[in-house]
Amino acid sequence: MAVLSAPQIRALFAQEAEIRLAQLGQHLLALESNGADMELIGSIFRELHTLKGSSAVAGLPTVSDCAHELEGLVEDLRSGRTSTTPTLIDTLLAGVDTLAEVIQTAVAAGDAAAPGPAPIEPAPARSTGDAEPAAAPLTPPAMPADVTAPADVIAPFDVVAPSAVISRAPDMAPANVEAPPAMAVPAWTTPADAGGVVMVPLERLDELTRLISESASAHLRVGRMLSDKLKLDPASITEFNELSRALNDLQDRAMRTQMVAVSTVTDALHRTVRDLARAQGKDIRWDARGTDTELDRGVLRRLSDSLIHLVRNAVDHGIETPAERIAAGKPPIATVRIHAMQLGSEVIIAITDDGRGIDLERVKEEANRHGVSTDALSDEDVAALTLRSGLSTKTFVTDVSGRGVGLDVVRTNVEAARGRIEVRSQPGQGAEFRVIVPITLAVLRCLLVEAGGARYALPFHRVVRSESGQGTTRAHAEGNDMVWVDDGQAVPLSVLTETLGMPADSESVDGPIVFLADSARRHAFRIDRLIGQRDVVLKGLSAVLPNVPAVAGASVEPDGSILLVLDPPGLIQRARQSRPVRSVRPAPPGAGDETERPGILVVDDALTVRELQRSILERANFSVRVAADGVQALAMLNELPSDLVLTDVEMPLMDGFALTEAIRATESLSNIPVLILSSRSSDADRQRGLDVGADGYIVKSGFDETALLTAVGRLLGSRL
Amino acid sequence: MAAADRQDAVLVPVGDDLYGVPIGWVGEVVTLPQLTPLVTAPASVLGLFNLRGEIVPLLDTAALVGLGQTDTVTFVVVLRTKVGPVGLSATACPRRAILADLLGPSELSGTAGSYRVGDELAVLLDVEALLTGLTPAASELVDATNARGLPSHSRRH
Repeated sequence: MAVLSAPQIRALFAQEAEIRLAQLGQHLLALESNGADMELIGSIFRELHTLKGSSAVAGLPTVSDCAHELEGLVEDLRSGRTSTTPTLIDTLLAGVDTLAEVIQTAVAAGDAAAPGPAPIEPAPARSTGDAEPAAAPLTPPAMPADVTAPADVIAPFDVVAPSAVISRAPDMAPANVEAPPAMAVPAWTTPADAGGVVMVPLERLDELTRLISESASAHLRVGRMLSDKLKLDPASITEFNELSRALNDLQDRAMRTQMVAVSTVTDALHRTVRDLARAQGKDIRWDARGTDTELDRGVLRRLSDSLIHLVRNAVDHGIETPAERIAAGKPPIATVRIHAMQLGSEVIIAITDDGRGIDLERVKEEANRHGVSTDALSDEDVAALTLRSGLSTKTFVTDVSGRGVGLDVVRTNVEAARGRIEVRSQPGQGAEFRVIVPITLAVLRCLLVEAGGARYALPFHRVVRSESGQGTTRAHAEGNDMVWVDDGQAVPLSVLTETLGMPADSESVDGPIVFLADSARRHAFRIDRLIGQRDVVLKGLSAVLPNVPAVAGASVEPDGSILLVLDPPGLIQRARQSRPVRSVRPAPPGAGDETERPGILVVDDALTVRELQRSILERANFSVRVAADGVQALAMLNELPSDLVLTDVEMPLMDGFALTEAIRATESLSNIPVLILSSRSSDADRQRGLDVGADGYIVKSGFDETALLTAVGRLLGSRL
Repeated sequence: MAAADRQDAVLVPVGDDLYGVPIGWVGEVVTLPQLTPLVTAPASVLGLFNLRGEIVPLLDTAALVGLGQTDTVTFVVVLRTKVGPVGLSATACPRRAILADLLGPSELSGTAGSYRVGDELAVLLDVEALLTGLTPAASELVDATNARGLPSHSRRH
């Protein structure tokens, strides 16, 4: 989905960064003469913070890392942990210079090959004058000057290479060094080492893969010809069989070129656990198993953020303090474990902690508060609710279930990688999150069904279950067929051929039913016949074709015919639209009704973020207005209310919290859903967001198009 | 698009009409293969077929120029575009010809002038415009094609 292209976003960012950098320079110089000016410090913080957010959105991690480091220094200043000294100003100014350099390189290179800039070092030898403890958070970089060398020589404890390096944790003295953790750089970003590895452009690999599958299908045709024309059984011909085997192996090897080991992300996870544990005074042992398990590069990349989120949650919310653990009779040292294993065509990555487990009572309370009955649910089902905030409730987007935030976002991301996530929890014993994904995106485990004389494949991870169709309890509501399921809910039922607009050639009213799910709802489809399960090699449809939302792709069958792979979310959307409808506002994403497009007001002081969001939302057929701060937003809303407000937190004049409060306090606006999008991920901020009356809170680091649209769709959907 | 003086083209019979496709676009001509209908797609997409392991969409030539439907497709002209092969429907075997005798402009969408070929008339297709016109959200295709370097219209959103 091309929204703004990456170069377009980077260009936008470069434009924005130039202005912000100039501002920063000015502010810093002003700060030199007026070191206690909190407003000034606040502005500096905001500039850095915005740069960080924008660069993250623009896909320039080296830049956002650098900005993040600087932001940390200013945060210390803002919170009074340090005070302004000339040395600090020097460091900050040097940092801004470095930032400018990094931005230039990164924007030019698309961050792919941005070389690490020189580390931002504290200004030479602090004078004894400002050596008072409060002013000395800047230990010299722990490392000698070779930090800029390739990743493999980067010593412990420096920030992710190859970005700028500012060491600022005073307690990270070399004396503390245990076994140096390996670097936190995912393997796909590191230059190949000398061990006989070459870099091959991806399209060449893809081309190779394509040619191999063409050979395989030509081979099949030869087999058919042998039997049709020469009346020979190909399986009885040794040469033919050898060729079959060779082609199979080739296909397998070609697929393996796209695989990487899980270990390429575990180092970053280890690092996250370690840092967070130190920061929170927790004692945690990291245990990684099965990290040589391989899976598709694309799958792993899509998962890495979610895995970080899960281990962070484990440390943050699962693991108790050593004192609490001792009181509970547990060993003071906690364990967080990642265990990867391959099972058939799937890889399971389990993240386990031996902490306090999920507070099921609180989840129930929360669910009940939102009108979801938990009486009939097992503990496992209750725990699973933490992943399903959108399904079970209508009005809150973030998860406030005692297990951190954004698990529904994790779930959405895992599902985007065609996977699923499961959770198990034992109160007092710990919790386990299992992420289950297909080894490769190219091969999709599917359920094959027949409807209207045609065969279709349904991606298995979207199939909730299937049943024979006889003996199902049918219901009818508002002119629609419904079918009852175990958990006491009625799920809408459609006929697959009708939804697809194909003629149904059998009048089977008792055909089997498959239950499909997207991230928020379930829908049942009646089909003619269940054929079975199959791994399908999925190919995208030609880019020439208009968007066909109900079709995920297609696959060439061994006999040369083409099998359509349906896309359950698109299918569900279509089915819902074609049902005899209650008066429904067009369902937000993808709906084509121009007359009543939901209006969204995007409030963000960062141009890049604003425009990116605008382009994403406009493409999803929302009508979008933008404002640069809370004051402007409020004025625009008073003039013409929107259906939803999407706001940043850190903004000049009036921040996102204040804006939300103001909206809630204005009678004519008080019902507008507000979604806060912030790079501040602390619980306190999130809680504050909810306290002031926001309906949802998305953390920018976990921000992607799908997450945004899901959250927006959910909030608007709830108002239908 | 500006028609060159002489256009080397493949003439595609569609019902009683004849359309010319500039030879540079044409990869091959095949007899109608087994088609899999692409459910939920617009009527101008007749379906998908397997061309040596590649999944190729077959488009309805008549529908693309805005003249209803091609009945009884017998041949497929496979266009080679930067985004992969695309099939155009034909009702009889296409043949090659030089279009030199420009009669005047043409009115249908996605066409670039009508030519005299012997006793017949052929309407030259502007393949890019034709394919871009397929997607109602034309910008999407332009984006997609730009990303892959297809010479495209300067139509931007």
